Amino acid sequence: MKHTSTVGKSNKLVLVLLILGLTTIAFPLYLTIVIAFKQPSEMTNSISGILSLPKTWSLNNFREAMEVTNFWHSLRNSLLISVLTVVLSIAIHSLMGYALGRNKAHSKFYSFVYLFIVSGMFVPFAILMMPLAKQTAELGLANWFGVIILYVVFYMPMNIMLYSGYLVNIPMALEEAAKVDGASTWTTYWKIIFPIMGPMHATVAVITALAVWNDVMTPLIIMAGSGENTLPLAQLNFQSQFGTNYNLAFASYLLSLIPILIFYIFCQKQILNGVTNGAVK
Amino acid sequence: MKGKRLKCLGTALCCLAAALPLQGCGASSDKVEIEIVQYKPEAANYFKTVEDEFNASHDDIHLTISSPNDAMTILKTRFIREDYPDIIGIGGDINYSYFVDAEILADVSDYDGLNDINQGYRDIAEALELVPTEGTYIVPYVANAAGILYNRDMFAEHGWQIPETWDELTQLCDSIQAEGILPFYFGFKDTWTCLAPWNAMAVELSPSDTTKQVNRGETTFKDEYRELSEKYLQLLPYGPDDPFAYGYNDACTAFARGEAAMYPIGSYATPQILSVNPELNIDSFVMPASDAKEDRTLNSGIDLGFCVMAECQNKEAAYEVLDFLLEYENMQKYIDDQNAVPCKNGDFRLASMLDGMSEFIQSGNMTDYQDHYYPSEMSVDALLQTFLLEKDVDAFLGNFDTSWLRYNRDIIRLVQEYEKSH
Amino acid sequence: MKNDRQRTFLLITLPILALFICFNTIPLIRGVIYSFTNFKGFGKYDWVGFRNYIDLFSDARVGKSYLFTIKLAVVSTVVVNVLSIALALCLNSKIRAKGFFRGAYFLPNILGSLVVGYIFNYFFTYILPAVADMAGISSLSTSILSSPSKAWIGVMIVCAWQAIAMNTIIYISGLQTVPEDVYEAGGLDGATGWKQFRYLTFPLIIPFFSINMVLCVKNFLMVFDQIMALTKGGPAQSTESISYLIYNNGMSGGQFGFQSANAVVFFIVIVLISVAQMKFSGSKEEQL
Repeated sequence: MKHTSTVGKSNKLVLVLLILGLTTIAFPLYLTIVIAFKQPSEMTNSISGILSLPKTWSLNNFREAMEVTNFWHSLRNSLLISVLTVVLSIAIHSLMGYALGRNKAHSKFYSFVYLFIVSGMFVPFAILMMPLAKQTAELGLANWFGVIILYVVFYMPMNIMLYSGYLVNIPMALEEAAKVDGASTWTTYWKIIFPIMGPMHATVAVITALAVWNDVMTPLIIMAGSGENTLPLAQLNFQSQFGTNYNLAFASYLLSLIPILIFYIFCQKQILNGVTNGAVK
Repeated sequence: MKGKRLKCLGTALCCLAAALPLQGCGASSDKVEIEIVQYKPEAANYFKTVEDEFNASHDDIHLTISSPNDAMTILKTRFIREDYPDIIGIGGDINYSYFVDAEILADVSDYDGLNDINQGYRDIAEALELVPTEGTYIVPYVANAAGILYNRDMFAEHGWQIPETWDELTQLCDSIQAEGILPFYFGFKDTWTCLAPWNAMAVELSPSDTTKQVNRGETTFKDEYRELSEKYLQLLPYGPDDPFAYGYNDACTAFARGEAAMYPIGSYATPQILSVNPELNIDSFVMPASDAKEDRTLNSGIDLGFCVMAECQNKEAAYEVLDFLLEYENMQKYIDDQNAVPCKNGDFRLASMLDGMSEFIQSGNMTDYQDHYYPSEMSVDALLQTFLLEKDVDAFLGNFDTSWLRYNRDIIRLVQEYEKSH
Repeated sequence: MKNDRQRTFLLITLPILALFICFNTIPLIRGVIYSFTNFKGFGKYDWVGFRNYIDLFSDARVGKSYLFTIKLAVVSTVVVNVLSIALALCLNSKIRAKGFFRGAYFLPNILGSLVVGYIFNYFFTYILPAVADMAGISSLSTSILSSPSKAWIGVMIVCAWQAIAMNTIIYISGLQTVPEDVYEAGGLDGATGWKQFRYLTFPLIIPFFSINMVLCVKNFLMVFDQIMALTKGGPAQSTESISYLIYNNGMSGGQFGFQSANAVVFFIVIVLISVAQMKFSGSKEEQL
């Protein structure tokens, strides 16, 4: 009895702390929403002015923002690139993470490959830009497909690190049991290891999807001149040095936030499902 | 259960893939394709209309104009892929100088339309070449002008007069301040805005070819920019208390809301200001920086000009497109749309906020921005911001001189080789 | 049996490694080649030997950017990891509306940098000084972003605010690998609160801690978006990060060759830091 009451107390404390912390998020979000509904003529530098509610709650900004960014078309491009990148990343990076994670402790070769790939994470993108622009064009990859390949390579170091980190806590005994049953390494991986890494897949999916969803630079330099836009590329239309329409821009950012938020909430469930399945022990 | 989910995923992917645009099948046949990439995204709507009108009236040429944001990055990555557009629309600044030097632009001196271009802007274009060349590489289209924007109604209400000398300007500021109004607004948090008053005063206080003289080793910035720097510091007390806290956007909003009487910035700021307060009655005047009013000259440079690329396969068609762009009605439309100053001679209708500058434009009394000669990687704007914060003229100018030599080493060598051989 | 295992691992590793080399290593080598030229990013260029590298070590601006970036990275890494572990523990405990909180705390990471830049600029320029005035804190009564000595704090706050979401996710997924019975056993021994965390939970999530440390250090050393959104390197060039210099002067400006040299040196520096970090946490992992 006593035990449960202390737990209840600490949980209430946690709840209070979380709600306090939430203000640091609620405030910017409130500003974003309010500005997205206002007209440029309602913008001021006074604090009461910026905090006030818009005069009318009209969806015009959203409508116009969708028009300017060619929303559905750009959304489709963004979705296509993000979904394919995430699927390929999970398949390729988890395999590579498995191969490297299981071997790097006892094999010089694998440990070198691991360090080699992980160090690729630290290459400043600016130095790769020009050569990549040239190389993708030479290979006929100056299109969305080239962008996906580049993403799969860019996020490989981080994801491999995540996967092989996760493998540390997955006991070898599981694989050995399967081996006794006569399954090949390949089958063992897909039948046993891959499903166990569920929470990690969800984590990788969230992190990769997020990075891809918001990225401007890669599509900018690779797809330049192809006439195709992703959402962040289309959103560049709202800013220029001499004038930025914040109201339209904020409306547009709110719109593009929704798909990724839904995806995140879905993945969160997967991260937790890993435990309830009791797979990791 | 698992298999089913995978199948769903597979189907979804196939659908996505099928929805892809069929790329690679370019537009058809015998028409000549002309592609323009221009760097002013704010004029995208105008160029869309021009594109449509051109294509509707021409059977032999198909025109595509793109107005991407961050066009310079896009252009540079396309150059490295050797995927050149036919015409590029860029500003008359150091990038243009570099492009001429890199020999990627075509000589357009045989283009007839050049004869109608205001000689002042043709000279400005020539001056931008790192070392003088035989050819002409840009057709100046429109210019912008920088000086001081003022709140016309506020001036009329208080009976303030437009200053014509430096002393009149400071007296005006004093009397504005005496009435409890802020004379200037500054948005120095955005470093590039530090350049606006600097350029506007520099045209009167130092020779227009200062940087070239320095490159030839004839003078130093310490000598040429001293008065300019000292006068710039004198402007600061007339601005907000902490000008480095506010950005360009804050300054535009503040000026639009009547929080200051004047805003030293270019004509390009008016759309942003008017978006906040469409009722505001703005006019402009030339920044008076010297003691003699005859010294005044308008700070104006090429805001947008068109260059034909050396790789362009069909120059005739490119010239036809340029002809269309330079037609009177099209230029007037651009001017109305962007409050721009035309580079073409002719009887154009200018925006009302350029009233105070029109006599200078008509008489051709204009001088290019000094910063069009500064390499962007030297970040003179940031040096200026540092200077305005620390207020140390000697340190600033000393730093300016050493940085200049460092960032322009290759250009200086080029210039000196040219001097030797000519 | 053993052979099958080794062959499978090789068949997995080699093609993926080839892909990586093709789109990361080869472009990098091409970039390194540019660092020995005065290439502007277009047009013709000359070989300049080691001039760019020699210049690099005598360039005060580059030196200053290293100091700023390292200071920012160290402080942000500490702040972010402390807060993310705390947040992950909170979000992982038995509370009400867990899903809601997890969604909410994820938001900072998805707001575009234009939005984040605008809101925090507004906050630091107008709201914070007004609040400080009311509270009578005179040192905060002007915008911290306009002071060369304090602007980095503003950048740090925004970096941390955005980064906490991602690091928390990694910690939460790490916490999922901690089996419930560890707590049950620990609970019997009377381990609660800090003790439970220090001796039971933390050792088990050390792999995730080291991943987060490496990712944090890497992300903050390569900070770019937040600088662009918040200060653009100002005031008085006090917040120019290394990536900002490399991009701004190399891509937008005409210093591509020189900034490639900067990027090469920078790459080596981060790799050294991270390898040291991984070695360090690797030895910690083995101790367990």
